[in-house]
Amino acid sequence: MAFLFDSLLSACLLIWSLDPELVNIVWVSLKVSFFSTLIASIVGIPTGFFIFFRDLRGKRMVITVLNTLLALPTVVVGLFVYAFISRRGILGALDLLYTQRAMVIGQVILILPVVTVFTISAISRIDDRYRKTAMTLGAGGLQTALVIFREARFGIVAAVIAAFGRVIAEVGVAMMLGGNAKGFTRTMTTAMALEYDKGEFVLSVALGIVLLAVSFGVNMIFHRVQGRARI
Amino acid sequence: MLYELINLKKVYGRRTVLDLPALSLEQGRIIALLGPNGAGKTTLLEVLAFLSPPTSGEVRFMEQRVDFRGNGLIQHRRRVVLVQQHPIMFSTTVGRNVEFPLKVRNAPKPEREKVVEELLHLVGMREFKEAKGHTLSGGETQRVAIARALACSPEVILFDEPTASVDVENQIAIERIIGEIRGRKGISVVFTTHNMVQASRLAEETLFLFEGKLARSTYENIFSGRIEVGANGDRYCLVQSSLPVKVRAEIVGPVRVAFDAGSLRISRTRTERATDTSLQGRLVQLADEGARVRALVDVGIPLTVLLPTQEFKALSPAVGEVVWVTVPPEAIELI
Repeated sequence: MAFLFDSLLSACLLIWSLDPELVNIVWVSLKVSFFSTLIASIVGIPTGFFIFFRDLRGKRMVITVLNTLLALPTVVVGLFVYAFISRRGILGALDLLYTQRAMVIGQVILILPVVTVFTISAISRIDDRYRKTAMTLGAGGLQTALVIFREARFGIVAAVIAAFGRVIAEVGVAMMLGGNAKGFTRTMTTAMALEYDKGEFVLSVALGIVLLAVSFGVNMIFHRVQGRARI
Repeated sequence: MLYELINLKKVYGRRTVLDLPALSLEQGRIIALLGPNGAGKTTLLEVLAFLSPPTSGEVRFMEQRVDFRGNGLIQHRRRVVLVQQHPIMFSTTVGRNVEFPLKVRNAPKPEREKVVEELLHLVGMREFKEAKGHTLSGGETQRVAIARALACSPEVILFDEPTASVDVENQIAIERIIGEIRGRKGISVVFTTHNMVQASRLAEETLFLFEGKLARSTYENIFSGRIEVGANGDRYCLVQSSLPVKVRAEIVGPVRVAFDAGSLRISRTRTERATDTSLQGRLVQLADEGARVRALVDVGIPLTVLLPTQEFKALSPAVGEVVWVTVPPEAIELI
């Protein structure tokens, strides 16, 4: 018990002193997660609109596949992207492996289904009269989509927050594609795994506290947004 | 001609909800579409508003053939506007809701502000300009929806049951606004209703829809029934499982029976030919419709009878009085 308290106390001191290594790891985690979420949102939200409003053949199948991909294991994504960007892969010449860009690619693949499915779910809860009203009032396709976006905005923001929560806490993609290089691709989760392996609990616990704080903050926002969506 | 519909069909799954071999609507008139629930009125309005393509057939609008899959559809759509039965407000202020059609047409801001003020004044909702659209009552929402529709400067305005879910005060206001739209702005108006009195009060032309088809009568008195053969071999229809009415029918079994309100007659004494049926009931409602008087008689089922004003004056029945309703075979239609 004393060991746990000592670790916790040391971790808190580490956070309080803004230890450069700790700050760098947190910064890399937030940066990579932010860009993955941003790209996944830019692609996933319009994709959700497209799938929902277009009369596509096999639409149900597409949604079923996307739902299945929600539970995609991070190591599978890591392995899949690795096959493309490793030196022997078709994108090997781009020298992406063990870079933050590789991590972003993997994480985008991981959360794209999350953003798309949750966007579809948010739009499907919106009354169809909004669409018909916008159209009869003279709105074009894009203007109508913007009306729906506005009405479904809380649900869509919730989708983005959920996606961010998924990437900030994942370890598989970051480890396999980032390589856990100190100062470059070391994220909170990969650093925790490494420090645990080394038996260095203080940094691990400190990062755990920060990660929990970030997750807690994200969840707080998520529930607030979801709550507003129901109003 | 405003609209011409040729061999128009709208099918959902296996159900044909609209089947109109030919229908023409004239420009610059107030046209009422009457019909019971499920007659296809809303579906027809959505086709007329270019929101829903027909399954087959042709729609001509102002002499132009409408291509529902083409890029030009939005140009047609911007000349017509539909006010839904239960209009929905965007989650912003009343003013911004009314401004929306002008914004999507890239109207300059000063013009937008002027039009919004004018239209909110027209519908008596000026003081609600900054109120949130979602906080309005049903009647207020309907009035703002009309202002929002007028902001489109449409050539045609389509109303789906405009007064179906509002109180009397709002009903009066909405009917006044519809009259003003036609009078002041010269906009063609098509509205659906199942209120005969409202249709005769507002409309210059009335069309009847029944089960997706244009009908020759109003089908006001429609009931479920069953054709049975009597002891003497005569056929009669047991209306609503209780009321026997003599009919000319080849078939036996369940039917829908319609009594033409204009062919029914009221009298104080029982007067019937051998082929007629007389039903005794209590007069429960009278309404003046100009050339006719609408009477509602409770004969076990509510029967509407349309009497020419002269005939009504000669009879002068009072509400609450017991009268006889004569049902000649020609007043009965089996559907």
